[in-house]
Amino acid sequence: MVSKTEETQLNRLENQVDNGGGGAWEYLCLVRKLKVRRSEKVLKHGLSILNDPKKRSALGPEEWTLYEQVAIAAMDCQCLDVAKDCIKVLMKKFPESKRVGRLNGMLLEAKGSWAEAEKAYSSLLEDSPLDQVIHKRRISMAKAQGNISEAIELLNKYLEIFMADHEAWRELAELHVSLQMYKQAAFCYEELILSQPTVPLYHLAYADVLYTLGGLENLQTAQKYYASTIDLTGGKNTRALFGICLCTSAIAQVSKGRNKEDKESPELQSLAATALEKDYKQRAADKLDLLTRALRSLKN
Amino acid sequence: MAEDLVLDTAIRDWVLIPLSVVMVLIGILRYFVSKLMRSSQVPDPKIVKEGQVIVRARNLRAAANFIPPKSFRSRRVYFSNEENGLLFVPKGQAQNAQAQMFSDPNMAMDMMKKNLSMIIPQTLTFAWVNFFFSGFVAAKIPFPLTQRFRSMLQNGIDLSTVDVSYVSSRSWYFLNLFGLRGLFSLILGEENATDDTQRMMQMSGFGFDPSKQCATCYCAATIFCASDFCAAWVPDSYRNFSQCFSQDHQSLGAEKDGLDIVQHEWALPKFEHRAEAVLRKLTM
Repeated sequence: MVSKTEETQLNRLENQVDNGGGGAWEYLCLVRKLKVRRSEKVLKHGLSILNDPKKRSALGPEEWTLYEQVAIAAMDCQCLDVAKDCIKVLMKKFPESKRVGRLNGMLLEAKGSWAEAEKAYSSLLEDSPLDQVIHKRRISMAKAQGNISEAIELLNKYLEIFMADHEAWRELAELHVSLQMYKQAAFCYEELILSQPTVPLYHLAYADVLYTLGGLENLQTAQKYYASTIDLTGGKNTRALFGICLCTSAIAQVSKGRNKEDKESPELQSLAATALEKDYKQRAADKLDLLTRALRSLKN
Repeated sequence: MAEDLVLDTAIRDWVLIPLSVVMVLIGILRYFVSKLMRSSQVPDPKIVKEGQVIVRARNLRAAANFIPPKSFRSRRVYFSNEENGLLFVPKGQAQNAQAQMFSDPNMAMDMMKKNLSMIIPQTLTFAWVNFFFSGFVAAKIPFPLTQRFRSMLQNGIDLSTVDVSYVSSRSWYFLNLFGLRGLFSLILGEENATDDTQRMMQMSGFGFDPSKQCATCYCAATIFCASDFCAAWVPDSYRNFSQCFSQDHQSLGAEKDGLDIVQHEWALPKFEHRAEAVLRKLTM
């Protein structure tokens, strides 16, 4: 994930390049390092460098990395001829390269010829069965074709080997959620929390899934995870605050008939409600009415 | 008898500097040759998987208190149960790692190539130094030394009354051998093949410091390296193998033991109280 300083630096460079100041190459390098997806800008500025033979030769051996970056950006913006030209140049320079083969596969994907792309990827995989990027491209192909269950199957097989890849776990969790397989999604989010316990995003997502699953135990756990999100973000996460209020009212509803167990933190809901009202007053004062009405209906 | 010998500046011009320059050039040459000769290693899927399993198990141990107890327990069983747990290694296989190292021909070839690329230039340079630069005093060490160092440092000089601080060019050669490592990592970047000292240390087992190495090298550098080379097959170079093997079976067992020991103490209820405190501060 991109840190705040890197983000500000990226935005500053972007503004600088957009308004005609130099620094296009630094911007492109930063985009490549942070793996951000700014395909239009990359395409525009990358092409401006590549079409100028003086600037191109000034790059030296980095020229080929730029070709690759521009090719991928072009595919993202559906400028397939630009992409094809770049890939042709690369193929001339590196005829037997796996990286260029991968680009070819991506081009086929972008054109929509799934079967040929699949064939290209399988042949690349035969040569190097442990290439993570090609596995991931196959999974994203399945996902793009709408075949989510196959994507899940492929992703599971990938994770059997590369089980420490937390990005893959995140993708799997989102795929499960899209298919409403919440129990499996909960498992994936647990993996994410295990690998990066201080990232509040995962706690929040986990709490969401648990709340959706329902049931007293899950609701109580969800409330705890919303609380941990609040703790990790210093109370600024609106979604977590809402989550607390919803959880408490849901727990109250579910345990209506049973003995009221001692709530561990009875004040949490009122505190969350107060924090929410304060936040709304600051940022969206016209919606404060809606909020108070909603909170009141929750309390009943 | 501590008399001051005046050393000719010609010694500096024609011995010390050329020797250093030659060693730097040989180091660079070796770096490029090793780069050319390096065969690309195809990583073994089982090894990669084991490495990833270890990372996952380690994460589980580290952050166990962040997930609900039930999930932790089910994961622990998944990793360490007797039949098909990922970390479970039946006793017979645990000693396999070493045997596997020898039986794999690729690995053996690689090791031999790396060792040879180190031994041959060292031997040649040492012989060259001995042939051309022996029999005179080359430099003066700035601090006084005891008489025990005489045999080590003054090998070509046959006068027993010369102060031990005056050394022969052989010691300059060894000084360069160990000292140019820093220079090489500056010029050639990390991971350069000229990291002789590290490899020598690993070859004789961990914790063998270079100074002792230095003394033995003096006696018979070539012979030492040759015998070391044979002895090196057994407790071998962890760094080289760590590139091929991410872990061997022993660390799987270690992870399993670590996991078995972990006591799960769910940290989330504490977070509720902390969240309360945070909100209270926020809404004040």
